[in-house]
Amino acid sequence: MSSWLDYTINGLIVGNVYALVAVGLALIFGVSRLINFAQGSIYLVGAYIGWVAVVQLHTPLPLTIIVVAVAAALVGLIIERFGLRPLQNSVRIAPLLATIGISFVLDQLVMLTFSPNPRALPSQLPDVRFQVGGGTIGPLDLLIAGVGLTSALLLFVFLRYSKLGWAVRATAQDRDAAMQMGVDVNRVNQAVFGIAAALGGVSGLLVGMYYNQIDTAMSLQATLKGVVAEVVGGAGNVPGAVIGSLLLGLVESYGVAVFGTSYRNLFAFLLLVVVLVLRPNGLFASARQAPPEPLTGTFIAPSRPVRIPRWALLIALGGFAILPLLPASFYVLQTLINAWLLGMLALSLTLVAGTIGQVSLGHAALLAIGAYTSALLSLTFSVPVGLAIIGGGLMSAALGTALISPSFRLRGHYVSIATLAIGEIVSLVILNWESVTRGPIGVSGIPPLSLFGYELISPTSIYWFSFAVMVVLALLQARLLGSHLGRSFRAIRDDDIAARAYGLSLNRYKSLAFIFGGFAAGVSGGIAAHLYSYINHETFNTQQSILALTVVILGGLGNVVGAVVGSVALVGLPELFRIAAEYRILIYGIVLLLLVRFRPQGLLGTI
Amino acid sequence: MSNIDRRTLVKGSLAAMMAGAAMSRGALAQSSEPILLGVSGPLTGPNAQYGTQWKQGFDLALDEIQAAGGVNGRKLAYSFEDSQSDPRQSVAIAQKFVSDPRIVMELGDFSSTASMAASPIYQRGGLVQFGFTNSHPDFTKGGDFMWSTSVSQADEQPLLAQYAVRRLGLKKLAVLHLNTDWGRTSRDYFVKAAKEYGAEVAVTEGYIAEERDFRSTLVRVRDANPDGLILISYYSDGALIARQARQVGLKQMICAASSVYSPKFIELGGEAVEDVHLGTRYFPEDPRPEVQKFITGFKKKYNGLEPDAFNAYAYDAMNMAAAIVKIGGTDRRAIRDAFTKVRDVSSVIFGSAAFDVESRRVRGAMNAELVVRKGQFALWDGKPT
Repeated sequence: MSSWLDYTINGLIVGNVYALVAVGLALIFGVSRLINFAQGSIYLVGAYIGWVAVVQLHTPLPLTIIVVAVAAALVGLIIERFGLRPLQNSVRIAPLLATIGISFVLDQLVMLTFSPNPRALPSQLPDVRFQVGGGTIGPLDLLIAGVGLTSALLLFVFLRYSKLGWAVRATAQDRDAAMQMGVDVNRVNQAVFGIAAALGGVSGLLVGMYYNQIDTAMSLQATLKGVVAEVVGGAGNVPGAVIGSLLLGLVESYGVAVFGTSYRNLFAFLLLVVVLVLRPNGLFASARQAPPEPLTGTFIAPSRPVRIPRWALLIALGGFAILPLLPASFYVLQTLINAWLLGMLALSLTLVAGTIGQVSLGHAALLAIGAYTSALLSLTFSVPVGLAIIGGGLMSAALGTALISPSFRLRGHYVSIATLAIGEIVSLVILNWESVTRGPIGVSGIPPLSLFGYELISPTSIYWFSFAVMVVLALLQARLLGSHLGRSFRAIRDDDIAARAYGLSLNRYKSLAFIFGGFAAGVSGGIAAHLYSYINHETFNTQQSILALTVVILGGLGNVVGAVVGSVALVGLPELFRIAAEYRILIYGIVLLLLVRFRPQGLLGTI
Repeated sequence: MSNIDRRTLVKGSLAAMMAGAAMSRGALAQSSEPILLGVSGPLTGPNAQYGTQWKQGFDLALDEIQAAGGVNGRKLAYSFEDSQSDPRQSVAIAQKFVSDPRIVMELGDFSSTASMAASPIYQRGGLVQFGFTNSHPDFTKGGDFMWSTSVSQADEQPLLAQYAVRRLGLKKLAVLHLNTDWGRTSRDYFVKAAKEYGAEVAVTEGYIAEERDFRSTLVRVRDANPDGLILISYYSDGALIARQARQVGLKQMICAASSVYSPKFIELGGEAVEDVHLGTRYFPEDPRPEVQKFITGFKKKYNGLEPDAFNAYAYDAMNMAAAIVKIGGTDRRAIRDAFTKVRDVSSVIFGSAAFDVESRRVRGAMNAELVVRKGQFALWDGKPT
């Protein structure tokens, strides 16, 4: 019984740690309706500034906190002024992507400055410990709890009782109306970003001290947990974020207690999905709050798609088809094989995100399902590889649609958060379901690609095979978009209320889109499995999902040719910048930022 | 007649001289071009730190190789391609290396995912893939061009089990392991060996690499009431677990796999890692000359920085590559065959190393039994803590 007390205390302690990040996220979401994926990077920056202050300048703790808060706030102000303010009148997806780009840039700058080796960040508090239950609590635990709760309380008071706080809330409710009433919206935004960044920086410092360890890879994990905690609590609700964090900590701790350590994150993301399904606005969203996305179609940039003449497409098609006959190196062919595989994933995502408006941040899960199905079918049941890949596609279509269907009633950002969680869940299930997936050992010795008994092992034949599959899928999808069904899809995207009023069954149409998209992604994963011959739960990760989303935005949402162009560009760019080695991700981040700044509708525009 | 003779003679010798000059120029041009190794590894992304450590080890080895006159009279160099340890990128890099005639052999990649995805390409392309951190049991099964100096965990874990059970007398164990292919394989070998030595394994807990909070895991461990904790961890998570174990009041003896061996382990773990026992494949105070040469050289080159195990793996791998190229020359197939012939390469980790031709893995890892005392790694003196 005493163990349960310990699990509870531990859950609350780690919940405190999550709360530090979640509060900043909630504040920004409250005002700009933006999930700030750069919050984890500010946390990282705060930790490293703290390291400089503590280890090199030997500042006492109160001064350390002030230094970190001020420096992080400055970073926040810079992000707001130069990264996000120019995107004010742009589509909703633009700032979201911009924060992803900013996080790449910040993480990379920290890594280049401080090297990726972990560093020790010594705690500046005395190391006394108080016995509580079977375990102990130290002063730093209390400080973290204090900072989390106090900041939530102060923010609550600030929002409710100060004039600037009213302005913040007015801006959150209706930006235009606030502006018309004389609120300086930019100043409000600035204030919010400054406060949130200061909090983020201090949280990095405290968490670094708590673990006596900081490293440059800690930002993504912080963002993920922060987002989960925030959304569970009710996006934009500051006290809700604290409660959501504590709840998340408890669920994880009890999860470990009952099922063991390797299930820990599984419960975090399951909690998120369950909360989203039962209470789409989070546990503590106030009833009076306006729906998070009053109109659908908010992610779509209004634009006229670039018309590409048929002859140009045919020439490009022919050019790529005969490329292996020209003196092209295997390296170029392999890079393009990667592009075709990513192209299939992008086709899948552009259909669900662009055509029907369900932005997915967990699309790599569909690859993983297809890859495992195809690999296991061919290995365990000796199914011919060609059929196994089709089996992978079908399984992704069926299972992917089933998993995602609970999120069909969600809107806007919540869809992307739910899909992010589903992506993580699939990866964790693969890790833990050892009897089927072989767990952490992964599946090795997957037979090479073959077709009608002929093994496709030369890069040339794999190139033609994957290119042909992608072209067929693209043609099918283009045909689909031109049909009655495609128009219904777009109607749902543009105005789901109107679409429903005209008698369209939203769930059915969304399912259809996911079935088709799931198939394309599953086939891509299946081919990849046979190409690599070895896969494990990390082969298809969140990074891959974000890459796919970037491709789709780059090409133009819903645009079939755009998905392919985007894939070639984003597989090709890192290869071109290969020479830049350490600077590669930095360049990638900057390219992403420039893209959303100057062409949010994508290169080829939205169809 | 003699006239003609003389003329032909002059002409002939002139021609011969010209040809000779041309040939030596050609030979000169060839020998001034370094022999090139390809490296596929992470320089960015979550595993970037390991790529950086590789480079440090490689560069030190190359300095020494060059100073000793290079390999077969030519310089040795490497071309490091950043894969982020991502399979999509490692396969593209594999094609790049395979189709680049200057590359004679490949080193890496870091993770099994990235390495084994690229294996079929190296195997078909007939280029040796020399994975020096690839402990996945299936890595060298990818084909006869896959070789590894990563000690099989089947060899290493029983040594740790012996240390913990036989020498330290731990009878009831809790095993915490990184839930990756490496951690999982290691755990299985460890548990098997520990049981053979007569210990009971009361609980095993796998955690993912990003995990930072182990308090609840440690409550489970406490409830299993073991008399020793075994960490199959890297240094950063190992240090975290040790700290949190002490914070939640666990006082049991801690034993760790050699992978925690790094000055960083003590820096990150602080007082909590005092008295942690670990086996290691290399130890700076090991009096063997190759170890001392490596450490002094490393500190001199990197401003007093203490090398750790990954630096040593990379250093050894580069020296091993040099020894193999020395035998095999620049022909890729001959280089593969040279792995079966290479003997007694002096190395930090393996003493004088050779390969087991059956498993295509290195034979004979060194094992020192260490303990952390007063914030330093020290050879264990046999006294219980």
